[in-house]
Amino acid sequence: MKHLKLFIPVAAFLAASVFFYMGLFSDPTDVKNANLQRPMPEFSLPDLMQPEKTYHREDLLGEVTLINVWGTWCVTCRVELPYMTKLRQQGIKIVGVYYDNAAEAEFSGINLQQTQADVKQMLANLGNPFVFNIYDKDRDLSLDLGVTGAPESFLIDPEGQIIAHRRGAIDERVWQRDFAPLVAQYQGK
Amino acid sequence: MIPEIGHFTLLISLVFATLLGTVPLIGAQKNIAAFIHLAKPLVWGIFALLSISLFCLAWAFYFNDFSVYYVAMNSNSALPWYYRLSAVWGAHEGSLLLWVWILALWTLAVAIFSRRMDEVDVARVLSVMGIIAIGFLAFVIFTSNPFERTFPSFPVDGRDLNPLLQDIGLIIHPPMLYMGYVGFSVAFAFAIAALLAGKLDSTWARWSRPWTLAAWGFLTAGITLGSWWAYYELGWGGWWFWDPVENASFMPWLAGTALIHSLAVTEKRNAFKSWTVLLAISAFSLSLLGTFLVRSGILVSVHAFASDPTRGLFILIYLLIVIGGALTLYAVRASNVVSSHRYKLFSREVLLFVNNIFLVAALLVVLLGTLLPLVHKEIGLGSISIGAPFFDRIASYWVIPFAIVLSIAPLVRWKQDKLSRLKGSLAPAILITALISLTVYLTFNINSFIHLLGVCLAAWIFAMTAYELVISRQKTKLPLSHWGMTMAHWGFAALVIGVAVTQFASKEEDVRLMPGESVSLNEYNFKFIDVKQVTGPNYTAYKGSFLVTRGNSEYQLHAEKRYYKVQSNVMTEAGIDAGLWRDLYVSLGENLENGAWAVKVHVKPFVRWLWLGGILMVMGSALCIADKRYRRVLSASKGQI
Repeated sequence: MKHLKLFIPVAAFLAASVFFYMGLFSDPTDVKNANLQRPMPEFSLPDLMQPEKTYHREDLLGEVTLINVWGTWCVTCRVELPYMTKLRQQGIKIVGVYYDNAAEAEFSGINLQQTQADVKQMLANLGNPFVFNIYDKDRDLSLDLGVTGAPESFLIDPEGQIIAHRRGAIDERVWQRDFAPLVAQYQGK
Repeated sequence: MIPEIGHFTLLISLVFATLLGTVPLIGAQKNIAAFIHLAKPLVWGIFALLSISLFCLAWAFYFNDFSVYYVAMNSNSALPWYYRLSAVWGAHEGSLLLWVWILALWTLAVAIFSRRMDEVDVARVLSVMGIIAIGFLAFVIFTSNPFERTFPSFPVDGRDLNPLLQDIGLIIHPPMLYMGYVGFSVAFAFAIAALLAGKLDSTWARWSRPWTLAAWGFLTAGITLGSWWAYYELGWGGWWFWDPVENASFMPWLAGTALIHSLAVTEKRNAFKSWTVLLAISAFSLSLLGTFLVRSGILVSVHAFASDPTRGLFILIYLLIVIGGALTLYAVRASNVVSSHRYKLFSREVLLFVNNIFLVAALLVVLLGTLLPLVHKEIGLGSISIGAPFFDRIASYWVIPFAIVLSIAPLVRWKQDKLSRLKGSLAPAILITALISLTVYLTFNINSFIHLLGVCLAAWIFAMTAYELVISRQKTKLPLSHWGMTMAHWGFAALVIGVAVTQFASKEEDVRLMPGESVSLNEYNFKFIDVKQVTGPNYTAYKGSFLVTRGNSEYQLHAEKRYYKVQSNVMTEAGIDAGLWRDLYVSLGENLENGAWAVKVHVKPFVRWLWLGGILMVMGSALCIADKRYRRVLSASKGQI
């Protein structure tokens, strides 16, 4: 009996391990999947270049669409633009969600005309992959999408379900691995 | 090419570790000399190989090789070179590489400094450390390879190091912490080797002591640094959050503290042997558990490393093998251990045992508080959160009996003593305690019982420890380790008084300030001078200048709000005027309209004493290690020890 108590530590440890094991596979904060298999959020936002024009969620439906969250202030977005432009030439519908940098807005204020001029120049230099750009002026849509930084991209199916998600730039490798098979599935139909 | 070399040496080191974990152990059990002799060369080999690996990763960072995925994710060409190097351990993969490298370093240290130890025993210890290395190397190689390339399309520039980590405190915090965590593996290996050999005697304790002290010192330094960093970088003046990851580092510290004291009894009195072995196993097991909790993403925490069930599962299996194996071995073998030593109820043995009880109780509270939310969720009772209020309250009760035992134990003799003998010490100690407490009480007008009690306890520990030092010095010349103990105990007193006074007397205010306006707080007048835009290597910032005046004294404070471009992150750098008696602390909040800013100002008395306490403890452990007796152990001939 006396010796049995020496087994208490190992027994306690094994009991705790059971919970560790269960805990490993039930983490609700796993952000990796949190963005998938949910509908594109509702929104009502102006066009970046023609602010009198307004877009809604319905404008994105009907075909498989790549939503690209970006900004001129974002360094990696520059790198991504040429490849995205190539994708557009291959017939991928790409819609931009443009947002102003939080800190930039706080630091120096936002001037829409200046932004439009910057965007025009940048797209002229690096290629324009976008059918149109939604101006996420209060960053509400980015918030609903759960965007953590730019660039970030979401692939939505014709019904508006998010089926793929990428944080960071999309290049040939990422596209072929994570996006192309899904797009082929829908375009094949 | 360079990253491939690093990857290659990493792979080879796994082969070496596998050999180290098996061959010398078999040699020691079957008494094959050739196998035993192999241990030390293998240890040198692993250390050399992993050093090359670490160097190659540092090289990739230094020369901005963004084709390496890990570099691309955690560095940027605009990052200053020193942060590019510290970015090596800025995220999961690289910090694990550092972890195994430090393990190799400790193993090498054991191999070097144990020349006088019986070669068979050394081989066992090194072999156990080899087994530990196998698991971690496999983990790095199969789930978290830092050398992975992203050919053919790789980013032109990196995603940058997390701005929170771009700081001197964070350059040295992780290596210190890992030195502590991994350092406990030495005591663990000694304990396992002793259990395997069936030789649990005071020699084992004497050998383990300096290693345990060293690991404990590093861990203390790591935790202190982490707390200091949080204080000035997070911008709201907090210094400990009872965050699960902090708890994960605190648990091995508590176990390590208990182990240091228990080892003393085992070495000097040949008692508590089985208990000490269990603590040695626990200290390192809790380090591993901490690693698991942090790396598996099982607990929600600000220190979020990648959350990945596969990685978590890998570590869990590893834990089952190492911890489960060690505890099973303990359960089977420890029954043979008999502590024959006898002692009376009032003796230093018993007081040290009480100290251990308190430390282990604290450990269990932290462990349960950290794991309970997980268990609660898993048995379907929904999510709960156990946070600072719970731990704070427990800690404030816990410290009272602990401090009393701490203050008395060094004065009490081994084996047996009479309470009446201590009477002489009480009068001067009470006088000093009363003087210090009264001074602090009048200065800060502390009208909260628990905080005043904290001050009294700290003063009491200080007075009793000082008294003990004085009377011990009259008898003999004190060894360094005695000074070390005294210093560490003073460190604890400094920590207690720091917590008590800071918690009670800190004042803070959130105000809206225009340049030129001021706010008063505790006789200090904070004047907001101006805000300028400044540019750093990879950020732009608003730098707010403040002039703080009190009487004729003036202090300049500069608080920054930095905007890191690549990750589009905003960070605060608090402006602090540090002092032994009080810190003045300013942080910039939001930029409001018309040039006004939200500003947070604090006056925090005694907050430095928290870290002073940590520094004293670290110095104490250093003094203990430097003691002659350990050098004597190291140079004694085999027969004598």
